[in-house]
Amino acid sequence: MLGRLLSLVGQGGVHSYADLAHQLGVSEELLEQMLQDLARMGYIQPVGGTCDTSKCHHCPLGSGCAMDARGRVWVLTGKGSSLRGGC
Amino acid sequence: MSIGLLQAHGCHGVSAVKEGQKQPPAILSGETAITVALAGQPNVGKSTVFNLLTGLNQHVGNWPGKTIEQKTGIYRQNGLTMNIVDLPGTYSLTANSPEEVIARDYIIKERPDVVVAVVDAAILERSLYLVAELLPLPAPVVVGLNMMDVADQEGRHVEPEVLEAALGVPVVPMVATKAQGVRELADTIERLVRGDIPYHPRCPQIRDDHQVVLDEILALVESYVPDPYPADWVALKLLEGDKEITAMMRRALPDAIWDQVHDVLMAHDDALVAVASGRYDWIGRMIRAAVVRPQVGQISLTERLDRWATHPVWGMGLLAGILALVFWLTYTIGAPLQDALDTYVVGALADRTGALLANGPEWASKLMVEGIIGGVGTVITFLPILFIFFATMGLLEDMGYMARAAYVMDRFMHLMGLHGKSFLPLFLGFGCNVPSIVGARVIESRRARLLTIMIAPLVPCTARMVVVAFLAPVFFGQAATLVSWGLIALNLMVLALSGMAINKIAFRGERAAFIMELPLYHIPNWRTIGLLVWQRSLAFLRKAGTIILVISVIVWALSALPSGDVETSYLARFGRLLTPLGSLMGMSWRMMVALLTSFVAKENSVATLGILYGAGEEEAKLATILGTALTPAAALAFLIVQMLFIPCVATVAAIWQETRSTRWTLFNLAFLLVLSFGTSIIVYQGARLLGWGV
Repeated sequence: MLGRLLSLVGQGGVHSYADLAHQLGVSEELLEQMLQDLARMGYIQPVGGTCDTSKCHHCPLGSGCAMDARGRVWVLTGKGSSLRGGC
Repeated sequence: MSIGLLQAHGCHGVSAVKEGQKQPPAILSGETAITVALAGQPNVGKSTVFNLLTGLNQHVGNWPGKTIEQKTGIYRQNGLTMNIVDLPGTYSLTANSPEEVIARDYIIKERPDVVVAVVDAAILERSLYLVAELLPLPAPVVVGLNMMDVADQEGRHVEPEVLEAALGVPVVPMVATKAQGVRELADTIERLVRGDIPYHPRCPQIRDDHQVVLDEILALVESYVPDPYPADWVALKLLEGDKEITAMMRRALPDAIWDQVHDVLMAHDDALVAVASGRYDWIGRMIRAAVVRPQVGQISLTERLDRWATHPVWGMGLLAGILALVFWLTYTIGAPLQDALDTYVVGALADRTGALLANGPEWASKLMVEGIIGGVGTVITFLPILFIFFATMGLLEDMGYMARAAYVMDRFMHLMGLHGKSFLPLFLGFGCNVPSIVGARVIESRRARLLTIMIAPLVPCTARMVVVAFLAPVFFGQAATLVSWGLIALNLMVLALSGMAINKIAFRGERAAFIMELPLYHIPNWRTIGLLVWQRSLAFLRKAGTIILVISVIVWALSALPSGDVETSYLARFGRLLTPLGSLMGMSWRMMVALLTSFVAKENSVATLGILYGAGEEEAKLATILGTALTPAAALAFLIVQMLFIPCVATVAAIWQETRSTRWTLFNLAFLLVLSFGTSIIVYQGARLLGWGV
């Protein structure tokens, strides 16, 4: 299951948790845990953080930052890339 | 102290970590004492269970040789004394921390008669990982399924009997905070050690393709594993790359055997994933068996709606439709209100101010009427349009649709070739371009980061959309919705095309996955939406009273000096320098100046148009004047430039700050100027050639 997830992350693209969890046949909570575990094992790494609106004070419309959606970018590490080749 | 009567084991034995092994514990009788270890993750209520069982019979000390607190206590019932040992809270048993080493060493070396795994029913997935690691250890496990009330509140119904059948070990539902289930837990422990309950743990299996490897390692190390470690568990830990166990076996194995083990491990450096994968497969099976998620109400509605809202084709269609509806509502409801505000409030205010200042100096009257009311007042008349725009967008945001909008747009951009690492910063830019520029820090490669920053201003930020909402109905009346929709589509197309180029130049086939959390749809909270609309409108008015006011006064002064006639003003002289470029797009010098003032803040272009076209006009409204002054093709060209033009000054400052390069900042401005004017010229000249709107 982790191998499949690694493979899906390696393919890139835009996914929702629900969609990815459905593809793997797991719950969204378990999917999140697997992502964290793969990251802990050093196969993938998250990119980026949260939306920084501290510099948006000049703009009255800047409060709609990020359209109220949360997302995270994951990339394969070198270790993950070499493993994905074998998955 | 353990009486050592039980020879209970986990799942190990000949077939290592196979499911379904029966390990019957020995039967106790009469007065006796056993040891019970409490294991669990932090914050699952383990300490509460410990306190409820032991009451005042507690002893607090440290684990031998460690500074980590050790709590022990006693519980007695039916002539059975239970020595309860509270193990440190751990997420797994992988020797990542001293707590994990203490917990697993205790179970292996001290062999408690029972291990109680306290798990949180509300986050069962996470809790079960620890259970997956406990089951192969040499002690029978009882699962204390705590926080059943929280799970129910969160809409997760966990069925303890089904979980018990799936795990093959006793499961006791509990709500420790209400002291529910604690007596049942003690009874279950007693019945298990007395042999009244069968014990058939179903343990995780290593992924099939690595079972042979595990067997090979086991065969090599089995005879050398030091007591009291179970050989199959040690083999598994070697495959996982557990540093402590690897070091122990390096010492225990003869060099020749170690070399063989090492070779096998080196040849299977993906074994860690295979072991963890086996555990996740096992957790998945347990969850599917025992957790029931209600398929009615919110979740079901979300799933049904998302079949359309996040569909690659229908999702884009729905987004386009919703966007068109937002603009249609904004214009249909807002335009008459804007007209009324213009006539009865701003117009009346201009008349009264003119009358009041009639006896004063002419410049003061003109500054107030043409400069301030003509500029700031014009912007304020659009407040109803803005109000409805904010309200419709707020409604979509609050009910959970905007996340879907971002999702389908990002997927579209991905299909167009935009790289995943660019999504995150660009995705942030829909509110405001500044966090988008700052967000590009996540891209390590300087080239890719710079290129992403270069295209970030092309994301149609809310301020640009507001300018379109201002001007599209002024220019296009009934066709405003279609034009607004088309302008946003054009922006996204240009963004996607630029992204494709960046992907080819900077990322060279590197891939990244953007995984988004989509919230459940819910009934909108009118109070939240009202508050949001109020805050944004107030902030907009504040801006009108500061930046827009200052720029309006400056623009008016430059348009009035030196003679009082706008046609011979300093601003006209400067504006006419831009006429050769403007004429290619059908724009007068006034329009070009309005574009330039948008550099300070996007809404300034509206104020400038109000001043420059309103000056000297009596009673005529801006919409009427602009309607006659501009052809539709020129108006469209103006809006296209607005959408693709250089961003506001704050965004440019952010670009400079993030690139730390004047050259790149200037390059970005030049790129956007060429892009915006180039696209506009193509559209205008194309329309002219075809005879459309000229």
